[in-house]
Amino acid sequence: MADRELTFEIFRYNPQKPEIKPYMQTYKLKETPGMTIFVALNQIREEQDPSLMFDFVCRAAICGSCAMIINGRPKLACKTLTNTLPSKIKLFPLPVFKLIGDLSVDTGTWFRHLSLKTEAWVHTSKTFDPKAQEERMDNETALRIYEAERCIECGCCIAGCATANIRDEFLGAAGINRVARFMIDPRDERTPAEYFEVVGCEEGAFGCMGLMACDDNCPMELPLQMQLAYVRRKMAAYGLGYKATQGVKLA
Amino acid sequence: MLQKTLTKSNKTDLYLDLVELTSGLLLAGFLWTHMLFVATILISQETFNRLSEFLDTYYLSYIGIPFVLVIALFHFVIAGRRIPTRIQEQKIVWQHAKMLRHTDTWTWVFQAITGMAILVLASIHVWMVVTGWPIRAMNSAERMESFWWFYLILLIVGEYHAGFGVYRQFVKWGWFPRKPIGYVTKVITAIMLALGLAAMVVLVQIGGAI
Ligand code: SF4
Ligand code: SF4
Ligand code: FES
Repeated sequence: MADRELTFEIFRYNPQKPEIKPYMQTYKLKETPGMTIFVALNQIREEQDPSLMFDFVCRAAICGSCAMIINGRPKLACKTLTNTLPSKIKLFPLPVFKLIGDLSVDTGTWFRHLSLKTEAWVHTSKTFDPKAQEERMDNETALRIYEAERCIECGCCIAGCATANIRDEFLGAAGINRVARFMIDPRDERTPAEYFEVVGCEEGAFGCMGLMACDDNCPMELPLQMQLAYVRRKMAAYGLGYKATQGVKLA
Repeated sequence: MLQKTLTKSNKTDLYLDLVELTSGLLLAGFLWTHMLFVATILISQETFNRLSEFLDTYYLSYIGIPFVLVIALFHFVIAGRRIPTRIQEQKIVWQHAKMLRHTDTWTWVFQAITGMAILVLASIHVWMVVTGWPIRAMNSAERMESFWWFYLILLIVGEYHAGFGVYRQFVKWGWFPRKPIGYVTKVITAIMLALGLAAMVVLVQIGGAI
């Protein structure tokens, strides 16, 4: 492994300068021990090309901002060691999200839309009493909520999903996982009917085709298959048990 | 958006998903039974004929075939809604699958392709069988001898579509963990393929002996 020379092929495009068409640029770099894609990109930017755009904040797989397509797969740049890859490394920005430039995309707007659409907060009629003792929750429920909460909103599951690539409105695994998180939460007072409004449709649980690119590519290894299936089953059970509400008829 | 407001929030999407599931499982069940029936030729021509006569006398073929055709039509229309129709979408999916090199995404692309192939091939198959009624070892052997390549394609395409279709439904509904289900469906598919191939070889031999 020692002394490999890495060849990076990196997607370059700046939407601010549309007159320059997208192209691939090649950079060469000596591999160092423990090098991650994140380290390599910084080195390229410092030593070879200050114009290269990419995102990072935490460099510890916490913030979710450094996700990109690394040799075809959506991954976190800060969590991907170069020694797990061949010496030719191809980098693309994540699809689906708005391209800011080169490897940098705007996942924030997308996830904000998701939070608003799924109303990702605990809906409760109780008013918070800071002096009262905290309500108890059994350990198993708490752990299941925690498991879903580990999502760092990196967008790998969305970028990997063929459905999300062609259906703009599809919530994707991160969105459905988010809904599952609140469904499990006993403090959330939303009824199944209210959840059905959000995910009982093609944009939600029933749009998923079960390709499992989300499950296979989530860097946090969330149990996405089971989360998707859980919401699908819940919604189906509810949907089969209630009468369709009468709507306004056009004719 | 009047059009979206008035058509939204009903349960259409759920029902479509359930019809896709049920019709798919029924068809896979049918295909596997069908292959087991055909494989009776491996025991003897007589068994094959007796089974076929039995299905005839109790009108099972006459009910079964139209029933399966109707289900297949439903399945085609409803499962087919997933297939991107716009050229740009098809290009996106194709590029996406190539980029990702992800097994389950590729199997889905082939699922769509095999589905289309089955629509054409199975129609021809049904037409050939119905016009050459009844089903007896001799008729089948003749058909098989002249069109073995056709049946070979149909067999592979059909078993592939059924096997992975069942796998995907189990994955989507999460009744069982993914890995074992993948294993089980692959084993079933392999057995069905083996039976089908063996039956083909026997039938072609019988056909050649006439
Ligand atoms: S399983 Fe569903 S959400 Fe996950 S990649 Fe596939 S279609 Fe997308
Ligand atoms: S579910 Fe996983 S892949 Fe998707 S955004 Fe969250 S951490 Fe990233
Ligand atoms: S930089 Fe924060 S997850 Fe990679």
